[in-house]
Amino acid sequence: MDNAPDKSDTIAPDPVIEAYKKDIDVTLIRENLRLTVDQRFQQLMKLQRFAEELQNAGQKARQKP
Amino acid sequence: MTDYERLIPLLVDNEIEFIIVGGAAATAHGSARLTLDLDIVYRRSQQNLARLVHALEPTEPYLRGAPPGLPFNWSVATLQKGLNFTLITTMGALDLLGEVVGGGAYEQLKPYTIILQVSGRECLCLSLKRLIEVKRAAGRPKDLEAIAELEQILAERQE
Repeated sequence: MDNAPDKSDTIAPDPVIEAYKKDIDVTLIRENLRLTVDQRFQQLMKLQRFAEELQNAGQKARQKP
Repeated sequence: MTDYERLIPLLVDNEIEFIIVGGAAATAHGSARLTLDLDIVYRRSQQNLARLVHALEPTEPYLRGAPPGLPFNWSVATLQKGLNFTLITTMGALDLLGEVVGGGAYEQLKPYTIILQVSGRECLCLSLKRLIEVKRAAGRPKDLEAIAELEQILAERQE
């Protein structure tokens, strides 16, 4: 449900932002838009856990002589 | 890790008036980018501050990144003295924002929200269009890629 008073979804293009759009993976967006909001948060938490594991692994690797 | 499935229901169940903004709002709208915290804009009424303090007390809120042992007192008086608080809790990283650049305070943002269903609860989240506008207004270089993705999501939804 949308509470927003401005129903127009149009935003004036910004040339800098347009340049960044070339690198956006639209397939990932399409996958996410198929999910529920709960599923999107669950996926984010999985990603956070994975990032933490990578950070810990990196720290351990740096501590090795 | 920030436990959105526990943190958001905790806020809703304690009847706190808040709006999800930032990276978590982007996730709710379909962003695939990694964000590590939950940013909320909270209403700064006396009652809401009291509810926030009561609800978050069990999660041991503390200033994120601050050295341990600082005399940080989690109380209504502390919230009244400040505006934006970057906290670490037992449920993860939580940013309490009294206002956001380009968007204002809770009252100014509320008309530009959508109602989200998270873990069986209803909560307010900044609309995709307003989120883009706020991020554009903030003018932070680090947001450019995120804005580009959000605008792409907006375009995908319109197709």
